[in-house]
Amino acid sequence: MFDFSWNMLTYFPPGISTYSEAHDDLFRLVYWISAAIFLLVQLTLVVFIFRYRARPGHKSIYYHGNNVVEFVWTLAPTVLFAGLGLYSDEMWKVMKYSSRIPTPDMEIDVVGQAFNWHVRYPGGDGILGKRHARYRSAQNLFGIDPTDSHGKDDIVMTGEFNLPINKNVVVHLSSVDVLHSYFLPNFRIKQDAVPGSWIEVWHNGTKSGKYELACAELCGSGHYAMRAVLNMQSDADFAKWMEGKITAKKAVLAAEAANPQPVAPAPAEAAAPAGEHHGSSH
Amino acid sequence: MSAVATQHDHAHVGTHDESHAHDHAHHSVSFIRKYIFSTDHKTIAKQFLATSMFFLLVGGAFALFIRWQLAYPGEPIPLVGKWLPDSLVSNGAVQPGFYTQLVTMHATVMIFFVIIPMATGAFANFCIPLMIGTDDMAMPTVNMVSFWLVPIAGLTIMSGFFVEGGTAAAGWTNYPPLSASGTGHMLWVIGVFLVGFSSILGGMNYLATTLNKRAKGMRMFDMPLTVWALFITSILQVLGTPVLASAMSLLFVDQVFHAGIFIPENLLTANGGLYPSGANVGAGGGGQPVLWQHLFWFYSHPAVYIMIVPIMGVVSDILATFARKAIFGYKAMVFAIMAIAFLGFVVWGHHMFLSGMSPLLGTTFMLSTIVIAVPSSIKIFNWLGTVWKGNIHFTTPNLNALGFISTFVCGGLSGVFMAIGPIDVYIHDTYFIVAHIHYVLFGGSLFGIFAGMYYWYPKMFGKMYNETLGKFHFFLTFITFNLCFFPMHMIGVGGHMRRIYDPYVYEFLKPFQPINQFITIFAIAMGFAQLILIFNLLWSLKFGRKAPRNPWRANTLEWAAPAHPGHGNFDRDITVYRGPYEFASPESKRDYLPQWIRPAHIEQETAVAEKH
Repeated sequence: MFDFSWNMLTYFPPGISTYSEAHDDLFRLVYWISAAIFLLVQLTLVVFIFRYRARPGHKSIYYHGNNVVEFVWTLAPTVLFAGLGLYSDEMWKVMKYSSRIPTPDMEIDVVGQAFNWHVRYPGGDGILGKRHARYRSAQNLFGIDPTDSHGKDDIVMTGEFNLPINKNVVVHLSSVDVLHSYFLPNFRIKQDAVPGSWIEVWHNGTKSGKYELACAELCGSGHYAMRAVLNMQSDADFAKWMEGKITAKKAVLAAEAANPQPVAPAPAEAAAPAGEHHGSSH
Repeated sequence: MSAVATQHDHAHVGTHDESHAHDHAHHSVSFIRKYIFSTDHKTIAKQFLATSMFFLLVGGAFALFIRWQLAYPGEPIPLVGKWLPDSLVSNGAVQPGFYTQLVTMHATVMIFFVIIPMATGAFANFCIPLMIGTDDMAMPTVNMVSFWLVPIAGLTIMSGFFVEGGTAAAGWTNYPPLSASGTGHMLWVIGVFLVGFSSILGGMNYLATTLNKRAKGMRMFDMPLTVWALFITSILQVLGTPVLASAMSLLFVDQVFHAGIFIPENLLTANGGLYPSGANVGAGGGGQPVLWQHLFWFYSHPAVYIMIVPIMGVVSDILATFARKAIFGYKAMVFAIMAIAFLGFVVWGHHMFLSGMSPLLGTTFMLSTIVIAVPSSIKIFNWLGTVWKGNIHFTTPNLNALGFISTFVCGGLSGVFMAIGPIDVYIHDTYFIVAHIHYVLFGGSLFGIFAGMYYWYPKMFGKMYNETLGKFHFFLTFITFNLCFFPMHMIGVGGHMRRIYDPYVYEFLKPFQPINQFITIFAIAMGFAQLILIFNLLWSLKFGRKAPRNPWRANTLEWAAPAHPGHGNFDRDITVYRGPYEFASPESKRDYLPQWIRPAHIEQETAVAEKH
């Protein structure tokens, strides 16, 4: 009828990050341990059900238990599971501890907005401009500080973005409205995007191609469609692509300079107490 | 009977005059006092049962709508689609907004209005007074209030479907900022607050009753495991639910007064405007959405145990009775329940591995969580030890209890995956979690609830249920359950997110549509199989064989009461002489020895009891 396997391990999407292999290995380990325990317990249950079924002449025994046995089957799972926990902690540290984040080759900002992903690159100067929530508005989702010159040339993309392969990319993740979750299945990484906080995630993709970025935290009726495409490119291709973006941004900035118009009055407005602003409606 | 019951009532404080009137003016007790605002724990238990069964059908229908959409997105819901209003469906097919309402309400209904009221409301009310040999709860009026809060809360939440913007749609976890606006979310918060108070009042009552009203001679370690489990669950309810209530209150303040407790500064709304929040005043400060998650899970993780621990007790009693054998390691079972309950309070952070909390905390929560596998294993091994060398009778309650063990093992093991932080990073918020929660709460709690419903049906209604229909219902449910929920692990490993209206906008999820259709077919079959249960319960009320006093030849005190006990429960004085699991005891010629039989008259008294 369709491709179906009872072996869960066959369902993983192809892993393409530096830790996807280690992640899948750990999963495999837990899977086989669980499968062994599962089969052992179910088999025991079935055998007992069959062997000790009620039938004429069969009797149960008078027995309240045995402390030695209790001790053994308390100790065994303690050793097994605590050991598994301690063993897994290393992987957890690699993925999550800020002290373990490798030296970044590249840093980007990602914010979720119902129902889109926005990505910010540092632009021509290679430095992300400062940001603060007080500057945030519908026109300035990242809250880029208008007084910081590094922010002027930053490049913002929506729904589709590119990254180079074999580079440690540190993503600064946040949200402008509700909770979202940054999920790259092929990278085996997921992290909630929390409004009001910037959370660091890192990954290093090893294979070029198009991959999907999903939102994994319910964020409203359009949640299901909060999808973005990540193009993983070779160094050269990425550099070429980025060069094009920088040139285009320069042209936009030059045009703005030639025609000086307060393009974004929003930051000043946003800095004003917004509670007052909306207070009248209540 | 009435004379003895009157004496009983006189012996207890509080209900003194009322009970007096009850017994002497038996025929003049109004219908309303007897069936609606009753203070009899058995009537209240039946009220909980009936309410939960109704909500089970509602929540089940929601689940089938969800399944239909995942299998056949955009196609009209068969039969009912054309009757639903255009605000929910277009051309009979579920709309995205309705879908998020459905996933929210399915879980809300099943957790707060089916499993919790069933496990604690129905079973605690019915079992505790009968199994400890007393006439009623310590606080019968409080008990009545505890029930009536449930339908009021249910109506409050359901009324959300009729307000502008629809009912709550932020998931049953109701994370702000998404849940911080909208009338539907406010009604949800009020409803959960009320149902929480039902839990607190119930829990207090169960604790007071268990501690103060045990029959003469019954020590704590003479109590059946059902009572132990309910006792410990009550502690969880009384300690955990107030935290839920405070979280609800804080969210309500955010919703109504825009206090900004959970709302950070300068937040955008869906239409791009700024969020009306106190936090926007001034640049500093601002709320923290993750605080909600801490408060919510501080209650809701123990709540998972509120839903499963009572069932563990029920299943233990049923297994022992039908294996005709004592519980293996009775005290170990009690200590394991205590350990699970205690650990339940220190593991809430494993729901928040991805919330952005300190990864150091993640390590702590990972280790405390994985340690819960230990008391859970102890319970499973002891259950296996109980059926070992038993004489197993395959009645419907026992089949459901054995089914519980089988599925609980699976649900427990899938829990190990998500306890491990780095694996949870990937499977969090996927169908792997959905599979796990259903293996624990449907495969675990609900099979256990079915087991208990069949087991105590004779005592509850004085009639026997139909055994053939019961077995048919079990096998059909067990098979369809596994075929429905097991494949969810697979698509979860495939990365299939939960709570998504149309998975097939993602390229990597497109190949999973046939599996989703497979799941849906068995979900529908499983849903309709429950009609057999309802038919059986209702049909047997009228046409069932009259139940004897102790149909299962069990040892615990409820079977000393008349076949269909009236107000006051027992028609004799109850004294306890031994533990609850004296099966195949050398002291008796029979394979059971009830707790209330006097040691000097074992054969004679058991024989008399069997004649009733």
